[in-house]
Amino acid sequence: MSAATVEEAVHGVAEVQVAEEPMPSYVTQKSLNDDILKMISIPGKIWWAIFLLDLAVLATGLIALRNQIVLGLGVSGYTRPVMWAAYITNFVFWVGIAHCGTLVSAVLFLFRSHFRRAVYRVAEAMTVFGVLTAGIFPLLHTGRPWFGYWLIAYPNQRQLWPNFRSPLEWDVFAVTTYLTISSIFFLVGLIPDVAAARDRARHPAMKLLYTLVSFGWQGTNTNWKHFYGAYLFFAAMATPLVFSVHSVVSWDFAMAQNPGWHSTLFAPYFVAGAIFSGVALVINLLIIIRKGFNLKHIVTIDHMEKLAKLVLLTSTMVGYSYLTEFFMAWYGPSKFERDLFWWRATGHYWWAFWIMFTCNVIIPLSLWFKPVRRNMTVLFIIALFVNVGMWFERFVIIITSLARSFNPSTWVYYKMSWTEAAITAGAFAWFGMFFLIFVRVLPAFSIAEIKETVQFPYRDPKKKGRH
Amino acid sequence: MNALFEFLLKLLGPRPGKYQGVMGVFYYVDDATGAVQALRQSGHRHLAVISPVPHHEIEHAMEQGPSIVRWVTFIGGVLGATGGMALCVYSVLSYPLVTGGKELVSIPPFIIPTYESMILVGGLANLIGMLALARLPHIKMKAPYDPRFTEDRIGIWVPCKGDDAKRVEAMLKGHGAEEAVVHA
Repeated sequence: MSAATVEEAVHGVAEVQVAEEPMPSYVTQKSLNDDILKMISIPGKIWWAIFLLDLAVLATGLIALRNQIVLGLGVSGYTRPVMWAAYITNFVFWVGIAHCGTLVSAVLFLFRSHFRRAVYRVAEAMTVFGVLTAGIFPLLHTGRPWFGYWLIAYPNQRQLWPNFRSPLEWDVFAVTTYLTISSIFFLVGLIPDVAAARDRARHPAMKLLYTLVSFGWQGTNTNWKHFYGAYLFFAAMATPLVFSVHSVVSWDFAMAQNPGWHSTLFAPYFVAGAIFSGVALVINLLIIIRKGFNLKHIVTIDHMEKLAKLVLLTSTMVGYSYLTEFFMAWYGPSKFERDLFWWRATGHYWWAFWIMFTCNVIIPLSLWFKPVRRNMTVLFIIALFVNVGMWFERFVIIITSLARSFNPSTWVYYKMSWTEAAITAGAFAWFGMFFLIFVRVLPAFSIAEIKETVQFPYRDPKKKGRH
Repeated sequence: MNALFEFLLKLLGPRPGKYQGVMGVFYYVDDATGAVQALRQSGHRHLAVISPVPHHEIEHAMEQGPSIVRWVTFIGGVLGATGGMALCVYSVLSYPLVTGGKELVSIPPFIIPTYESMILVGGLANLIGMLALARLPHIKMKAPYDPRFTEDRIGIWVPCKGDDAKRVEAMLKGHGAEEAVVHA
């Protein structure tokens, strides 16, 4: 949506015209439909090869999942007191991944960053699939996932209610709200584009699917008026939600008194880290899509560079947080805190700590250089490192604080079991499965919003302009 | 299998109505804007403009006010916040279990479920408000539809009949319509 449309949603009339990057002149409204909707076609051999590989990994994960559910938590590597381990690491990682979508679609929308138009649909899809992946892990972690509904507040005979003072219950509220709102935001944004897909669909099954998902959208002035009126408020509500959800996730740790966790730094630190990893994954996915579907004129190098700058910005915030943690441990009164942070960097898990620090702080420093930001191969590799680093960040935070708490007699060495490893790999495949289907079934770029940057035809050249 | 999908499509898809009016198809934005202005000046207030993206010139010409969906969202948000806090307070009062000598009704921790409930219910209200106000899903189409309207053409639907339809047809063509089809 253009800046003027935002104004219109608020005031009823367009008041502000903000300069935007126009599409190249050879891109017309019709060619834009052609370019984006060509992605929705019968997949080729490469897609099938990737999809089958993905399903094979997913199948391995499902076998491990079956073991985990049938045999219980004993098959995981949980070693008392490390009772939050790979599953909670994965939960935090995937919730973090999910953050980028709403950041790009809602926060950048409110800040009128027009480059979001070309990238936000992919980011939003990533959000929805990321939350769907994240949700698996707390349920698994309960040990008896079939009682997962106990987490939800519902009236029952014995008048038992969840503990609303617990951060774990806040998480239930935050994550379910986030899944609901981000799914609605994603599906509402799809309506006009799915209508365009519907108008071209030939197979009756696809036509039926698109007719249902587009709600019979016609694109009348009444449709557009209320669509954009609502879209603004979705963005306005999703924005504080982005910041609240990962803050709440961080409080799962910060509300406890363990060394390394009990810090007011955690909320902004986690939010920055979530955006950092999410944007990195968006970069990975977009680089593959723009190359695979030859959409370099829609997702341009400039768009990718702006995302790279976002990675650089959040990398510095994350790096600052790491250093602040060490400073506070050194400067503060707690010897347990000092011991833990020294041990994090030099103890049993030194390798995990240094993978984290190298991938999240040192490697992204290369993004200060413009040629690096604009080289897609290098950017792809850096983004991959960031995601590896961010997975290890959660591992380091969770495992080290539990493995080396106050009492030396409780110090243990946690080792991930093959079940946990297979479920972790399966989670990536689960996410990949959704994403692979998404790019082939739904418009992966917002036709309606990108179309607003196309030069519209005017009979009288004096009246020629864009939104 | 295809026959089943086609049957479901007929069953669930929007049904074309019986139209009385003229549909003009435009390529140029300024032509469509001029046509809307002229039609409204000649007394046709119930126009529908169908386009692949909203055009601000046309919206100005249509004199559209802001969407009232904001109020539906606001009411949803207020109800969500109230409901979230009420749920927390009710849960501790209905089963009082004092832990650590702390207050049963602890406002600071309850603010988080309250806040999340506000966003959840506000978001759902926003969705319902948008669908209701935009008349979605379209059960019955109110104007003839052309797939080009999701590509690059702008349609102006003018409900009218008889001699008026002929005048409107001429007016639309006079303002540069590529096509003007009378639906009697």
